[in-house]
Amino acid sequence: MTAVIAATHLSKWYGNVLGLNDVTLEIEAGITGLLGPNGAGKSTFMKLITGQMKPNIGTVTVRGRKVWNNPMIFAGIGFCPEHDVFYEDVTGWEFVTGLLRFYGYSGSDIKERAARALDIVELTKDKDRLIRGYSRGMRQRVKFAQAIAHDPEIIVLDEPLSGLDPLGKRKLIKLIKAFRDEGRTVLVSSHVLPEIEALTSRIVLVHQGKILAQGDIPYIRELIEAHPHMISVRSSDPRALAARFVGDRSIQKMSFAPDGRTLVVETHKRDDFFGRLTGAVLEGGIEVEEISSPDDNLQAVFEYLVGK
Amino acid sequence: MATIREKGYSHWDGKLTERRFPWWPITRTGILLAFRKKRFKFVFAGSFVPAVVFLVGLYISERLEDFKAFLQGSDRLLNIDPNYFKTYFTNDSLLFLIVLVLGFAAAGLIADDLKHNSLQLYFSRPLRKKDYLLGKMSVIFFFVLILTAVPGLVLLIFKLIFVGSFKFFLDYPWLPLSILGYSALLTVFFAFYVLFLSSLSKNTRYVTILVFMIYIFSDILFGILSGIFHEPAMALFSIKANLQQAGAFLFGQKLPFAVPAGWSFLILAGICVLSAAVLNRKIRSVEVIK
Repeated sequence: MTAVIAATHLSKWYGNVLGLNDVTLEIEAGITGLLGPNGAGKSTFMKLITGQMKPNIGTVTVRGRKVWNNPMIFAGIGFCPEHDVFYEDVTGWEFVTGLLRFYGYSGSDIKERAARALDIVELTKDKDRLIRGYSRGMRQRVKFAQAIAHDPEIIVLDEPLSGLDPLGKRKLIKLIKAFRDEGRTVLVSSHVLPEIEALTSRIVLVHQGKILAQGDIPYIRELIEAHPHMISVRSSDPRALAARFVGDRSIQKMSFAPDGRTLVVETHKRDDFFGRLTGAVLEGGIEVEEISSPDDNLQAVFEYLVGK
Repeated sequence: MATIREKGYSHWDGKLTERRFPWWPITRTGILLAFRKKRFKFVFAGSFVPAVVFLVGLYISERLEDFKAFLQGSDRLLNIDPNYFKTYFTNDSLLFLIVLVLGFAAAGLIADDLKHNSLQLYFSRPLRKKDYLLGKMSVIFFFVLILTAVPGLVLLIFKLIFVGSFKFFLDYPWLPLSILGYSALLTVFFAFYVLFLSSLSKNTRYVTILVFMIYIFSDILFGILSGIFHEPAMALFSIKANLQQAGAFLFGQKLPFAVPAGWSFLILAGICVLSAAVLNRKIRSVEVIK
């Protein structure tokens, strides 16, 4: 499949500060989450994609065309920056229509597109209020509206959920997923793990300007061979269950959770363990209430990768 | 059931056509935002006072007999010739009013974008740096031309109307070019001057003060230095004096300072080149982390 966005050996530094270091990455249609702590290089990567900065080394292409110094490409890209970017003395309507004028639409087309975008983000009734009077959530939404108003194929969202209340977050997540379902490419950055998990399983982990890993969460988890998988099994008799695995060489460590009913196993061979667990349950008549993988989430993956 | 999605499907089907005047939305926004300031409307209206005074003077000059009692011998000032137009264009009050108008309307052109991080939004759209700068400059072109070329040409047209013949035009056929040329010089100079200062700070008030201070201080410096050295070349330190010198040259009149006009043109061009270099460095789409 052809990559929509492709970065090749991309590096960018600000004086002595390294923003991005030799990043090679391909992004396909759908939602891709860019995850990393503050200062990891997420925003730098997004700004390189949106042609706002020239890479020191490497190239970025969108649909095979170079991004830098090629502004016509941006007719198909919508960008929602992390921080507020408003003239406070304009209304939401003026903000969105003003930015739509750069695309060369006719007056009626601009009005129609602005109205549609503001309707999507549910700001229609507040569109004539000055942005100065907007709440944090409304500001976030009007920023999102300007990013989608020109109907772009690629939507780049830098920390779009920050500052939104839970309801606002849920609405925006729904909206972003709707764009994905239309076949668009959405690149979302966040340093908040649950936000990315709620949006997509396809993630790119960025840390100190480098890509630590990319793929879906279980795939990335598989990459971390140095760390055994942690599996929790809640059972009516966890000690009997543990006794069945004591001789198993694939098990690195076993312990009991403080509730006294959960056996926590660490193993490199997760699938083998599940096979044997099934056998133990069937043969030993041990009742299993719940099986979970506490480290099979993004938080754990991320902590492993950054070595915390 | 989850939606089955064809990942290769590309929704966007717009055309990648280049806009003819990509700078226009920036100009439009700049002009509209200037007129949104209440105080600016008064300043802008007041800045037409010199034009009205010179128009009245032009009218009186054609009706000297009717106004003889009021003029009391000062009718020699109402001799309508290229010098009259030069006086309109280079008088202290017009130049100061231009600075005043730009201080209100243009000081924030780049400073506000820097303050609000708006450059990221501009440059993630089909817009080049040169389009951005041209858009900002066009705001200044609008305000300066409306105070210079427009009244200058209106004065010329009214002169022809009041006289009722083209004799004045035939006597001075180059005058419209002088009007347009000097207006263009003022426009380009002030565009670079104000945008350069606007790119130095995120605080519009600070930029407004700088626009005034540098203009006025350069003139004060000229006064002090010429008082000490008694040397006409000290006029080159003054922005106002250089503009007046260039104006006198373009209108074919006696130079106000005994210095070659070329030097003033060089000084003004130097300021423009320096400003362009700074603007080129300062206008980046994103904040630079240090």
